This record gives sequence, C-alpha cells and structure tokens, in this order.
Amino acid sequence: MTASQPVQSVLRSRRLLAGGGAAMIGLRLMIVYLFALLLQLTFFSQVRVAGVAPELPALIAVLAGLFAGPRRGSVIAFCAGLMWDIYLSTPLGLAAASFVVVAYTLGGITDDLFHDTRLQTLLLVFVGTSAMVTVYALLGEVVGQRGLIDDRLPRVVLIASGWNALLSLAAAPAMRWAVASGPARSRTRRREPPASPLKGR
Amino acid sequence: MAVAQRSGRARYRLLLLILTAATLLTLDFRGFGPLDTAQSRVRDVLEPVVSAVDVVLGPVAEVWTVMFTYNDLRSENERLRDEIDRLASADIRDAAEQDALERLLDATGVTFLEGVERLTATVLRDSVGNFDDDVMSIDVGHRDGVAPGMAVVTSAGFVGRVETADAALSTVTAVSDPSLVIGVRLLDTGDVGLGHGMAGDPTQFVVDAGLRWPETGDLSELPAVGSPVVTAAGSRYPADIPVGRVASVEPSEAGLIQLVTVDLAADVQDLGYVTVLLLASTDEAPVGPDSPFSEPSP
Repeated sequence: MTASQPVQSVLRSRRLLAGGGAAMIGLRLMIVYLFALLLQLTFFSQVRVAGVAPELPALIAVLAGLFAGPRRGSVIAFCAGLMWDIYLSTPLGLAAASFVVVAYTLGGITDDLFHDTRLQTLLLVFVGTSAMVTVYALLGEVVGQRGLIDDRLPRVVLIASGWNALLSLAAAPAMRWAVASGPARSRTRRREPPASPLKGR
Repeated sequence: MAVAQRSGRARYRLLLLILTAATLLTLDFRGFGPLDTAQSRVRDVLEPVVSAVDVVLGPVAEVWTVMFTYNDLRSENERLRDEIDRLASADIRDAAEQDALERLLDATGVTFLEGVERLTATVLRDSVGNFDDDVMSIDVGHRDGVAPGMAVVTSAGFVGRVETADAALSTVTAVSDPSLVIGVRLLDTGDVGLGHGMAGDPTQFVVDAGLRWPETGDLSELPAVGSPVVTAAGSRYPADIPVGRVASVEPSEAGLIQLVTVDLAADVQDLGYVTVLLLASTDEAPVGPDSPFSEPSP
C-alpha cells in the first residue's frame, strides 16, 4: 500500500457522499415541488382571491434562487418552470425561461445581502414573484401569445405575489430543508465549515 | 480567482438554460411531435395522483368557494328568478322565435350535430394558472377518440377547441381565448372573416379580419345587429356551428375593415358538460391562397 492510497480512499468516499447528498437533495426537491404542484392543480384551481391563484411553481423557483444561490437555484427554477409549462396552455419553455432568469438574478443580487429573516424572505418572495409573473407575461407577448398583457396584469401580479409571500411562511422551511446539505446561504450555512479530514495530511 | 471562475460557470449555466428554453419554445411552436407526446405522458402519469388529491381537497376548496361567493350566488339566484318570470310570460314569443330559428336553420343548413360522431364529456377543472382563464380540462382523451383540434360544442353553439389530448383527459381552449382564431360566416351577408375572443370579456368575440367596410358607404351592406354568426366552411372546424349573434358593427381605425362584435351563443364559463365533435380538424390556419378567407388587410 502506497502513502497516497488512504488519501485516494478518503477522496472516493467524499465523492460518493457528495453524490448521495445530491441525490438526496434532488429527491427532497421533487417531494416539495410535487406537493406544491398538486396543490396548485387542485386546491388553488378553486381557491382564489379576486380570481387570482398563487403561483406555487414560481414560489419554489424564487426560494430556490434565494436558498440555493444563482448556480443551483437557476437549475431548480428551470426544472420547476418546465414542469409547470406542461400544465399551462402557453408554449413549453416559457415559464422555464422566465423562472430561470429571475431566480438567477435574485440569487445573484441577494448573494451577500440575504440574512434569512422571515420578513426579508417574505419581501424577496413578493418581489421575485412579481418579477417572474411580469417576465412571463412579457415574454409570452413577445413570442406571440395574446391576452397576457392587459388591464388584468397588475391585479394578477399583486395578488399572486401577495399569495406567494404569505405562503412562503410555510414553503420557505420546506425549501430550506430540501436544499439543506448544499452550499446555500442561509444563516446556518454561514458558519465556518468543519475542518476537512484532509487538512494537515 | 476562484470566485471569478464560479461566477463564469454560473453565467455559462444560465446561458445554457436559456438556450434550452428557447429551443423548447421553438420546437413547441413548430409542433414537434415527440415533445407533445412527452408532455402528454407526464400528465398521464400524474393524473391519478392529481385526481386523488382533488377528491381529498375538493370539499375544502368548496368551503372556501361557498364562503366567498355567497353574496354572488344570492344575487345570481335572484337574477335567475327574474329571468324565469320573464321567460314564463314570454313563452308565446319564444315559440315564435323558435319557429323562426328553425326555419332559419333549415334555410342555412345549420346541422352541426347531425351526421357527426360526438362524445359528451364532463368538465373536470377550470384553468390552473392565472393566465389561462380560457382553458378547461375534460374527462375524455385519445383513448375515447379525441384528438387535438376537434371542435367542442354545447347545444348553444361553439365552445372551443381541443388543445391537448392525453390518454383520459383533454384540455380545451375556449372560444373566448384571444389566441384562438376562428373562421366565421355572417349569415346576414354571407361574408366570411376571421375572429377571436376579446381579452377580459368571455361573452364576446370580435371579427376583425376579412370583412371590408362598404366602399360605397352603403350601410345596408353591413350585417344586421342580432343576425347569426356561424363557423365557416374551410375553417378548422365543421361548418355552420353557431358562434353567436352580431352585437355591433364598426369601422376599423383606418376605416377599411369591419369590426364586428359578436355576443357568443355559448356561455363558456361554469360549464358542466360539453360535447366533442369527433371530426378531425384541418390543421392549417384558415388563411392562404386556397382559403375562402381573404388575407387580413394591413
């Protein structure tokens, strides 16, 4: 056995652990997203305020941008948008494109600002949802969808964002749990990382 | 250095995701078959779960609906009572109108339900998003012979078009959707034109292409208010399905084209049941050199 063998063994097990962690995060994200999607498709197709429902897929995308950062958050937002696109009458890719742009921007802007207080999450979800719904409508009109931008749009943006901000009180802990072991920027993850087992070797 | 690398990779990833979305958009616009199939399969897989959750959460949602629409329901009830009284006193006039309508139908050959195989469906859910109020789900799919593009009607007239057909579920775009362009014929003048729903008003439809304003200025050439409007032969749908009645006729801004506003015959809101006409649609837009519709004027 050479001297480098224990190091290689540790590296291999770290890679396996990282892979397992990623799979676990993926599974947890799928559970959270599926729950949100089912609520959106069933409960919130009837429960509306002034005819406007929350945008739960957008909520997941915003929270992904906030908790998982621009890199991973944008991928999660893309998947959330793509899955939502399957159920919408607008062309496939429209929600995905809108979500990814806003999640990336939001994740990038709040990279060093986010301190994980409930009020901040609430406000950022409100702003993020407003941006996503507006970008979705604008992009839809650009690609030739009629009726997305009209007198109703401000009402939809405000009420859907309000809904999402309120629901983020429940969704934020769930999303934080889902992306927990990743390099997110919640308060708990700002702590110093534990010393690497390779340190000093 | 490492931060710059990470930032560069993040931007690269963003670009890749946007390009993927743009590719999907393009493929969807071009009607790429495998993409539709994949979407349909995903919906099919999730449908039992969605239905089960719907059954569980349905009563809770009903409570919300009842709580917040009680006043609306009460006023709706009063309005319907008034309507019943009015109809009861006017049944003789209605009989005469019915006779006139039947004669009109005989004369114009409106037989949209005769000879066409049809399928009755239950409306399961209304729109799921905030921007697709004109979309509904029905409980029949390609297992039952339903295919995208088929016309959906009620006894009142044209309701919409089957947009997607999964195994046991289909989505229908209602005639009130501004994106759904329909070729129509005005029975009063015999002219054909293209129309679409009006954003924000699910009870009206506007014909804004293909109908020229009379060059002579003779207003008698315009369709009469109240005259029927039906689907045109050569449109994507079977001919002569009632669409509605002319509500108003105005010149366009340039004064060259007629803008005909139509009161839709079918109420597309709160539908319980609909009928799908099992007749494959023409999948081409009803505009072109061989089309009975003239090109929209600039």
